[in-house]
Amino acid sequence: MKQFFNNQNLDQIRQFGTFFGLIALCLLFTILSPYFFTTSNLLNVAQQSSIIAVISVGMTFVIITAGIDLSVGSVLAFSGVVMASVLHAGLPIPIGIIVGLGVGFSCGLLNGLLVSYGKIPPFIATLGMMSIARGAGLWFTDGRPISGFDDSFRYLATGEIFYIPVPVIIMIVVYVIAHLILTKTKMGRYTYAIGGNEKAAVLSGINIKLYLNIIYGIAGLLSALGAVMLTARLNSAQPIAGIMYELDAIAATVIGGTSLFGGKGTVIGTLIGALIIGVLRNGLNLLGVSSFIQQIVIGSVIIGAILLDTNLKMKKN
Amino acid sequence: MKNITTHQFSALLLITLLVFTSFSCYKEEFPGRPTVALVVKTLNNPFFNDMQTGAEEMARELEINLIVQAAEREVDVEQQVQIVENLIQRRVDAIMLTPSGSREVVPVIASANRNNIPIINLDTRVDADLLASDNAFVSTFIGSDNYEGGLIAGRYVGEQLNGVGKVAILEGIPGHETADSRQQGFLSGIGEYPGIEIVTSQTANWERNMGYTVFQNILQSFNDVQAVFAASDLMALGAVEAIASSGRDPDDIIVVGFDAHVEAVDAIRRGVMHATIAQNPYEIGRAGVEYAYKVLNGEDIPNNINVEIKLITRDNVDE
Amino acid sequence: MEHISKRFPGVLALDSVQFDLFKGEVHVLLGENGAGKSTLMKILSGAYEKDEGNIFIDEHKTEINGPSHAQELGIGIIYQEFNLNPYLSVAENIFLGREPTILPGIIDWKKIYRDAQELLDSLNVDIDSKQIVETLGVAMKQMVEVAKALSLNARILIMDEPTASLSNNEIEALFKTIKKLQTEGVAIIYISHRLEEIFRIGDRVTVLRDGRYINTKPVSDLTKDEMVKMMVDRDLDNHIPKVKADIGDVVLEVENISVKDRLHDISFKLRKGEILGIAGLMGAGRTRLAKTLFGAERIVSGKITVDGIEVRMNSPRDSINAGIGLVTEDRKNEGLILDLSVKQNVCLPNMSKFITNGWINSGKENQAVDQYIDKLNIKTPTRNQLAIFLSGGNQQKVVLSKWLCSDAKIFIFDEPTRGIDVGAKTEIYQLMNQLVAKGVAIIMISSEMPEILGMSDRILIMRNGRIAGELSDSEASQEEIMNYALGEAYEAVL
Repeated sequence: MKQFFNNQNLDQIRQFGTFFGLIALCLLFTILSPYFFTTSNLLNVAQQSSIIAVISVGMTFVIITAGIDLSVGSVLAFSGVVMASVLHAGLPIPIGIIVGLGVGFSCGLLNGLLVSYGKIPPFIATLGMMSIARGAGLWFTDGRPISGFDDSFRYLATGEIFYIPVPVIIMIVVYVIAHLILTKTKMGRYTYAIGGNEKAAVLSGINIKLYLNIIYGIAGLLSALGAVMLTARLNSAQPIAGIMYELDAIAATVIGGTSLFGGKGTVIGTLIGALIIGVLRNGLNLLGVSSFIQQIVIGSVIIGAILLDTNLKMKKN
Repeated sequence: MKNITTHQFSALLLITLLVFTSFSCYKEEFPGRPTVALVVKTLNNPFFNDMQTGAEEMARELEINLIVQAAEREVDVEQQVQIVENLIQRRVDAIMLTPSGSREVVPVIASANRNNIPIINLDTRVDADLLASDNAFVSTFIGSDNYEGGLIAGRYVGEQLNGVGKVAILEGIPGHETADSRQQGFLSGIGEYPGIEIVTSQTANWERNMGYTVFQNILQSFNDVQAVFAASDLMALGAVEAIASSGRDPDDIIVVGFDAHVEAVDAIRRGVMHATIAQNPYEIGRAGVEYAYKVLNGEDIPNNINVEIKLITRDNVDE
Repeated sequence: MEHISKRFPGVLALDSVQFDLFKGEVHVLLGENGAGKSTLMKILSGAYEKDEGNIFIDEHKTEINGPSHAQELGIGIIYQEFNLNPYLSVAENIFLGREPTILPGIIDWKKIYRDAQELLDSLNVDIDSKQIVETLGVAMKQMVEVAKALSLNARILIMDEPTASLSNNEIEALFKTIKKLQTEGVAIIYISHRLEEIFRIGDRVTVLRDGRYINTKPVSDLTKDEMVKMMVDRDLDNHIPKVKADIGDVVLEVENISVKDRLHDISFKLRKGEILGIAGLMGAGRTRLAKTLFGAERIVSGKITVDGIEVRMNSPRDSINAGIGLVTEDRKNEGLILDLSVKQNVCLPNMSKFITNGWINSGKENQAVDQYIDKLNIKTPTRNQLAIFLSGGNQQKVVLSKWLCSDAKIFIFDEPTRGIDVGAKTEIYQLMNQLVAKGVAIIMISSEMPEILGMSDRILIMRNGRIAGELSDSEASQEEIMNYALGEAYEAVL
């Protein structure tokens, strides 16, 4: 029984707490609005959260290594418009998507190189990339969106498999893969090691540079996947898409229990975090709460989540 | 001790949030009557605040309920789409929409169509081609002819410069129908004066600070520019401030905006700005609710309702 | 202090402990790691709140409400892990929160540097009070801590393993200062594992074991063995249980290794089954040599050969693949990842062993870890316990397990038993014996004379980044080692 309180379990309690928070929120909105707890609205929420949820996975990996990626929104926009132009040029959809993902991965890889070889703090490196990718996207399209795609492409947003919207399925697949990587592969173990103590990780023979590059690359790749999903949804790739998405991704990651200091966190937590944000926006919309107040509420939830995290951290020490 | 306080604080925060939320929930003014929603690009702009006021007053007269929503940022189309989706979930009776992205809202309009919720398109046109290819439709478009407004502005500038001179353009968000139409109109108007050269045309995303910085840079690179047309008053006001901080005489550069923003009208009065195009957001808002109600009552309505445009200059500013 | 109890989640750290202190005495607090010494002192210095019990200062019952309150009461503490701000100067650290000011809010820089320098000089330490703490070595940082505590004019001064990183000169200076403080009526609580020191300066000694009070006696009434027995309740007749192994072929050859500005022309050979001790003073370059052999420093020139094959040491991975394991000096910051579990730490350098078809094989991992938990007697509730919760000795065992798991044939130990209780120390020596018996070669860097003399087959002494001398088992003695380390005649103080 005494063992119950060892640190592992405190983390699980924390995660359970976040999940409990999500349930509590759902309960609250169910009581306050008759429109919340319907199948169509719940699927609605899941779909609305899916893009941020996917991007947040990449953010989670990066934050676990004690880094941060501010460029996800801009990379989303840039990879989106490149993909869109490939599709508009008549090339097959899979090629377009691969090119888009490739662009995203490359931007992420560049971030990784700046951090691992250039030794530039992640905040600064990705801040720079945020601006560069945004500019690249605007330059590439001359500021204009690229719109109108085949139905087969839009299926990625509008389609359903066994009544579940495709974006939700994509989200679930991404999370399952990410969870497996983090918990059951060498790379996952190394991710936690690098974030927990970089020096000790080096002295354990881990090739930090290689793994940081891969991890930032993944973040870029997932931003590009977000672009694919967003473009299909809006039937349009905008160079101004994704502005401030990085903040939502960071929020979801932090609410989900990942520590900004690195070494701790799970993608399941991030999923719950993304859903909490999605539920909040949806519920407050349904209740007709003004968007200004929505901003206040969401910001407060983020602070509340961090407070709980610091609190638990203190308990551990 | 520290731990207890943080816990209490978190609990307090949560309770405050709950209370806050419950109080700011929308309450129906007219239970049993239809509920319509107005979704604008942003609530940070007096243009749309006026539209809101017009809509609210008409709603009160007709005794129907009105919800007003907007995304946090004008550029965030996805959030606007989510708001419309949520309103569909909420089964409002009709939605009036000023799209943040003319093409990007088409899928959600199709969704509203499937749910039998009429969409009234206000102010900025939804892309007609994309609507057609998705078999979607809007019940009507209510707005000013932005092209005509641009045309008038173009002719005004041409006249003021006596047919010769250098002109800069501050564009709206590219791809927005409003931005594109206004610009096309202006280019047509100014095109009637072959001696006029457009030295540069750049976007300031409808934003005031961006209008300031972009025009400041334009002044640096083209310091012989004689006139600037901004596709919105907020951007024009930014340009006015850039001119002021550069120390140039406001009379040297003709500034023309669009929207008849209160501050712009005041600026014209004071002589630091020269003209603006008055739409009539209040009227658009009123008409939006009026025609939404008609659609709900099964009446036939025209598919295009034009709200009149006026050129406001120093000469007629006091009217 | 009486009937002091303290509970942490899952653990009773102190069980009705008593402790008393006279003015002007040096009262040694002795016990294995995890015995509760640090916890008791943290309660006294206000860092922890006691769950039960009473504290009387000057015969008044007192409640200590926090570290600043404790400071006001005249209680100062010097922690084993430093409490310094690395980005500020020495002077600022010493006077943090109590800076002398000209006007309210404006620091009197002249005074702060001067006062700090006086304190440092009185400790015979060569530090400039303006130096940024980050640039100082471990030993120097501790001297700053000592200076800080002294500046607080404490009546009760708690010192937690103060000499762990000090050279003999510095220890002498510290003892002088302690004696001076005693004459001024300051009472000192001295936590240390170094029995020789206890006999030198201790007046009384209190022993704690497993959170319980065992006994208090005057130091003069006890022998070394009796003290140790109270601590561990087992007889340790021979503290250094060296078992000589068969020495085989050369497994490691280091030729003319140089690292820019730090190491010059280092050459030596290491044989299977051998324990090569490396002695030297602080700053001689021993840790740097260890890191270099492990691929963590850039080699400017020279060659390293393992089992006859030259190894290009570009990263620790090269070293690990060549069969070298490094047990670092600073296990918390370099040896372990505290956020990871025992299991994860042990398996970390060897992940390829535990991967089946791309996935981590938990079964194999668990098997491996359990083996080491058992063999090394690692005290942990489960294999998934996070490393941060283990005591120092057990943390060291986890580090050792890492390299045992990687089948290292060459172990480099850098201060292997620092800050570890006697019981665990012996276990580690016995482990070393087992390793060399199997043909493993060990390089052991140590500052503890008994350890170096007791365990090494040969001793290299380093000075200023070079090898100053070599002593065989028979030649070696404390004086000889010191001779080479200082580069001049050394007169025995001990």
